[in-house]
Amino acid sequence: MLEVIRHDIIIVGGGAAGLRAAIAAVEADPDVSVAMVSKVYPMRSHTVSAEGGAAAVARSDDNLEMHGFDTVKGSDFLGDQDVIQFFVEEAPKELTLLEHWGCPWSRNEDGTVATRAFGGMSTKRTWYAADKVGFHMLHTLFQHSMRFDRIVRYDEQFVTKLVVDGGAVRGVAALDVREGAVRLILGRAVILATGGAGKIFPFTTNGNIKTGDGMALAYREGVPLKDMEFVQYHPTGLPGTGILITEATRGEGGYVKNNEDERFLVTRDYGVGTKAELGPRDMISRAIVQEIEAGRGFEGPYGAYVHLDLTHLGEAKIDERLPMVRELAKLYAGVDPVHEAIPIRPVVHYMMGGVDTDIDGATTLPGLYAAGEVACVSLNGANRLGSNSLTECLVFGARAGRHAVGFAKGVHAANENACRGQAEEEAARIASLRGKKGAEKLAPIREEMRSTMESGCGVYREQASMDETVRALAELRRRFEDVSLEDASVVFNTELVTALELDNMLEVAETLAVSAAHRKESRGAHTRKDHVARDDQNYLYHTLCHRDPTGHRVDKKAVTLGTWEPEERKY
Amino acid sequence: MARAAHPEAMKPRTPGRTRTAPPLMPDEFPTRGRYLPYVLFDATGLVYMLVGLAALRVVWDLGSGPEAWGVVQEQLRHPLYVAFHGISLVSVIFVGVRFFRLFPKAQPPKIGPIAPPPEPVITAMLYATWIGVAGVMTVILAGGIF
Amino acid sequence: MSDQKKTFVVTRFDPDKDDAPRQDTYEVPVEPQWKVLDALNYIKDEIDGTLSHRWSCRMAVCGSCGMMVNGVPSLTCKDPLSNYGDRVEVAPLANFPVVRDLVVELDGFMNKLESVKPWVLTAKQRAVEEGTYRQSPAELEQFRHFSMCINCMLCYSACPVVANEPEFLGPAAIALGHRYNLDSRDEGNRERNEIFRGEGTVFSCSYANECSEVCPKHVDPAAAVNQAKFGAVIDWATSFVVPRREKE
Repeated sequence: MLEVIRHDIIIVGGGAAGLRAAIAAVEADPDVSVAMVSKVYPMRSHTVSAEGGAAAVARSDDNLEMHGFDTVKGSDFLGDQDVIQFFVEEAPKELTLLEHWGCPWSRNEDGTVATRAFGGMSTKRTWYAADKVGFHMLHTLFQHSMRFDRIVRYDEQFVTKLVVDGGAVRGVAALDVREGAVRLILGRAVILATGGAGKIFPFTTNGNIKTGDGMALAYREGVPLKDMEFVQYHPTGLPGTGILITEATRGEGGYVKNNEDERFLVTRDYGVGTKAELGPRDMISRAIVQEIEAGRGFEGPYGAYVHLDLTHLGEAKIDERLPMVRELAKLYAGVDPVHEAIPIRPVVHYMMGGVDTDIDGATTLPGLYAAGEVACVSLNGANRLGSNSLTECLVFGARAGRHAVGFAKGVHAANENACRGQAEEEAARIASLRGKKGAEKLAPIREEMRSTMESGCGVYREQASMDETVRALAELRRRFEDVSLEDASVVFNTELVTALELDNMLEVAETLAVSAAHRKESRGAHTRKDHVARDDQNYLYHTLCHRDPTGHRVDKKAVTLGTWEPEERKY
Repeated sequence: MARAAHPEAMKPRTPGRTRTAPPLMPDEFPTRGRYLPYVLFDATGLVYMLVGLAALRVVWDLGSGPEAWGVVQEQLRHPLYVAFHGISLVSVIFVGVRFFRLFPKAQPPKIGPIAPPPEPVITAMLYATWIGVAGVMTVILAGGIF
Repeated sequence: MSDQKKTFVVTRFDPDKDDAPRQDTYEVPVEPQWKVLDALNYIKDEIDGTLSHRWSCRMAVCGSCGMMVNGVPSLTCKDPLSNYGDRVEVAPLANFPVVRDLVVELDGFMNKLESVKPWVLTAKQRAVEEGTYRQSPAELEQFRHFSMCINCMLCYSACPVVANEPEFLGPAAIALGHRYNLDSRDEGNRERNEIFRGEGTVFSCSYANECSEVCPKHVDPAAAVNQAKFGAVIDWATSFVVPRREKE
């Protein structure tokens, strides 16, 4: 018997964007009931691992224009300027609200909120909480959300399908990981807040849960994914594990050095000018890759790396501003940054692309919204500035929450029988996956997907390797259809969840590779060896990737320009 | 094999809908690792109860008049009593040291505008008071003063 | 792949098949820098796909991967395998009902956490236009380390009182409530102190200090619980002297 649950707003994902949307929804309407459906308990959401800070204009030597321009330029002029305008206006209010809700922002002596320098920002506007900003923001939001009875949590429920009827989204089918049953949750609006998909790559700061679920859910219902080719490599991740070493290390004065003890970002021309280590992430990642290719990197058991030197900062400063970095370096790299340089290399960190939304978070499917890393609104264009994304989750999570409530007011009841039918089909599909017999093992398919993404869609790309990746992914998809699962159990079957996640990852990976192969220019984080220049004449648009009977179809969407005309991106 | 915890330990308000295995206590409880000192620490309550009963008995006996003092002193010299007081002394020192280790961190960060002194100072004050008072009591009971 | 092997004895439990938890043994080739979690993932990927365990961040901040390793609560993504000899026993967290293999029921913990009103309680909601509260670095320092809890629940596994008194709030919940009591922006001390004196009473704590011993983030919940005892008593005493507003 299919269990049916009814709410007004369904939020998929319990991280910063999802929690902020939930809070905004219940504050917008005292009668609305919100379901927060997440495959993990909210405090496990990957927001928790963010370290550096969240940006908003705070100081008197700063203004909205400056934050806006930094973001536009950082995006390599692909960011939508109306979105950016709204973002910089709302940012200080959102971070202030979070402070009211208890977020322990680090402080200046006079009790005001402290700010630090960050990559690509023209002045200090990154609010921080030591070096655990994501942890503190997530726990603050989660704890604040506990005040509202009308936010009902459905923990460890994996949404596997959006239920669409009459041309609009009507709810979700979700697998209860513990019980093994599929449930239908009906709602008048659905907000996707499931994060990015870093796990399609082998070296990533992302945790195990970042598998692009929301992107795949939307994509399968015909919603286009926008700008998927733009993947941010964070310059300073640990080799092997990919664990994030925050940009704040550079914000507090750390140096990046090659094997000749040279601060190559200063001594050589990598386009970052006087900003040096505080240049934008795409430029620094490219610089590091080039240094390594020139033979000026170090060799290690996990490949080549360079050094992040904090030894000149002193123990007191490191313990006050970067305590978690010190712990992580000791625990996972075996070095104490007070005395030794940390080995680092670029690792995949963030997806600028995602579900295509407008400034309200609305997608092309009525009733479906998206906010946070899963969405491409587009705030970040071709490259994101560090510390903008946590603020993005708050600003657009809130906006999507409010708009979803507005939309929900005008929605008539769904055709429940049609929805039940879809959910029952989904339940049958999942039941047949459990303990399925086949010829292929899960782990090798996953590892090969990652390896082909790294070789074809890494920091530097070219047509031949991208085409090869597209081909390889199609082959992996075929092999996945024949995957063999050992675990036929019903209760808490994590192998089943892993298989569903791999299904989502393969979908997202394909859109990424196809979009990357399409864009024949270099812009922001998408760098091609065969088309090295930015081509505003032909490519100043967002890439839209649609599902198509033939596979995938790429379309264009205009960039909303505004105050700032595209110019050469030099620092 | 670990022993069972209370069958309702960490039970949720709304029961989960699949069968769960009952909670087990940590393997090392009660006699391994740091659990042994903890169990002994709590078990010293028994010693204090006996000390209290013994003290009441002494007071009761002394109630019969000044001659009772000599009788009580004689009783207290019995080897069993001496052994009992030896155990009590060890217990008190054990609990005192363990409790004094906890006491500084159990102080609130501030009482109104007043912050507590730094932890080593608090610890020094505790030991000073303890040894001081114990010293004075010993001297009095040994007949040194009064 | 290195040629060092360790034997992993892992608790298994499928409520549809097993009456009670049992153990499976795996021989795992291990790398020198591996944590316990890496070995579990190897088992799942290469040896036995039916093993269920929770994990996510692998950098000791999400709190998912708490388990008993050789009888002691451990955060498996942080715990180096080099700490252990050739035989490693992995079991689900003590003191929790077990759902499956290494996965415990954690809704009881969520209930306790929510019951201490872990949010900034104020008589009036501050408006955004008023800007942020002023909070000095010293005021922040008062509660900052108590705010570091990642909800990994190792402290609940270590605590002998949690094992025997189902109503006890437990280390992390009390530490979180106390964190808000110490936050200069919060005005909810009275409400929380009543909760601290209520059914889940902080006074059940009998000074084992095990919670602080196992905490991977150095939160020192034992300090919080014992400070909370003091605060709860003072609050109770002053309630006779200072008149209270009636609760709505």
